[in-house]
Amino acid sequence: MRRLGLAFLVAGLVAAVLRVRGKGGAPAQQGGWEELSFDQKP
Amino acid sequence: MTDLRIGIVGTGAVGSRVARQLAGTSGVHVLLADYPGGTSDRVATSIGASVTVVGAMHEELGLDAVVLATPVPQVALAERFVLAGTSVVSVSDDRDDVWRLWGLDDLAKERGVTVVVGAGFAPGLSCLLARHAASSFASVDELHVYKHGTGGPACARQHHKALRSTAQIWRDGDWRSRAGGSGRELGWFPDPIGAHDCYNAELPDPFVLLRAFPDVGRISARLSATRRDRFTSRLPMLRKPHVEGALGALRVEVRGLRDGQRQAEVLGAIDRPAVAAGAVAAVAALRLAVPNTHPGTVALGDVRIDTTAFLADLAQRGVRAARFTGDHR
Repeated sequence: MRRLGLAFLVAGLVAAVLRVRGKGGAPAQQGGWEELSFDQKP
Repeated sequence: MTDLRIGIVGTGAVGSRVARQLAGTSGVHVLLADYPGGTSDRVATSIGASVTVVGAMHEELGLDAVVLATPVPQVALAERFVLAGTSVVSVSDDRDDVWRLWGLDDLAKERGVTVVVGAGFAPGLSCLLARHAASSFASVDELHVYKHGTGGPACARQHHKALRSTAQIWRDGDWRSRAGGSGRELGWFPDPIGAHDCYNAELPDPFVLLRAFPDVGRISARLSATRRDRFTSRLPMLRKPHVEGALGALRVEVRGLRDGQRQAEVLGAIDRPAVAAGAVAAVAALRLAVPNTHPGTVALGDVRIDTTAFLADLAQRGVRAARFTGDHR
C-alpha cells in the first residue's frame, strides 16, 4: 500500500512538472500581417 | 519656437525612453526626477543636452506637462500636479490606479488641465489601435485586447499580480468577474512572436476602452502566460525580475458592422513594451497634455483624438502597427 502511494506520488509529480513546463501545440495561422500605413484608414 | 518644459518622474525602463523621445524633439527641454532607486543622472548623461536632473519635481519649475513613469500607484502624485495646474500623462497599468485617476476628472476640468490616463503599451497603444480599427466600422460591438511581454521590473511585478487577481470584463452593459489565469485563448501576435496562450487577468484596458467606446457591448483583455507563469503567479516572485523584458506584442480585435455585414478587424504591434510605452507617453505629452485642448481625463482611444496622426507620429518614432490579413474565427 505504501509502495502504491509512493508510485502515485512520483507519477503525480512528474505529470505536474511536465504540465507546468509543457508548451502545447498551436494550429497554423491562416494568413499574415502587413504593416499599416497611416496615410490611409484601414 | 518657445521651449517646452516637460518633467518626467521616474527614470526606469519607460521613463528613460520617454526622456530620450522628448529630448530628441526640437524645442523641448526635459526635466528628470527620480523615485527611490532611480538612475536619472546616468540617463541624463547618456542623452546629453536638453535634459536637466532635478532633485524633486514640483510646480515651481514652470512645467508645461509632467509624465509619470513611476511604479504604481500614481494617483497621489497626479493629484498634486493637477492641483498645481500642470497637465499629467500617466503610464499606469494598474486597474485600481487607473480607476482612481479617472476620479481626477472634475478636479482637472476645474483647474483647466489634461490628465492622459493609460498612456503606455497596454493600455495606451492598445487603445489607439482599437480606435483606428474601429474607424472603418459603422458600429462596433466587441473589443478584445491581447498583450504579450513586459517592460521593466515594475511592469513584470504588475504582470505577476494581474495573473492571480480577478479580471473584469465588460459584457452587455455590466462588469463580470473572471478568475485570473482562466479563459485560455490562443492569441496570434505579429511575427516573430506568433501564437501564445492568453488568459484573463486584472488589466485596466477594459476600463480605459469603455471610456473611449461607451456603446460597445463586449470588452475583454487577456495577457499571454506560460503554464509556469500561471502556476507561480499564486506565489511571491521568487527572484528579482529582469531589468527589461524581451520583445512584446499586442493584438487588438474589433468586431462590428461594416458594409452591412458583421466583420472583424485585427491590428497588432510588436516592440519592447517599455520602448513603445515611452514613445506613446512622449507623443501623448506633446499632442494632448501640452496643447491642453481637452481639459479633464482623457483615454487614448477617445474619439476627440486624431488617432491616425498620433499613430503616424509613433510610426516615425519607430513604433509601427500591423494589420492581420488572414481569416478570422
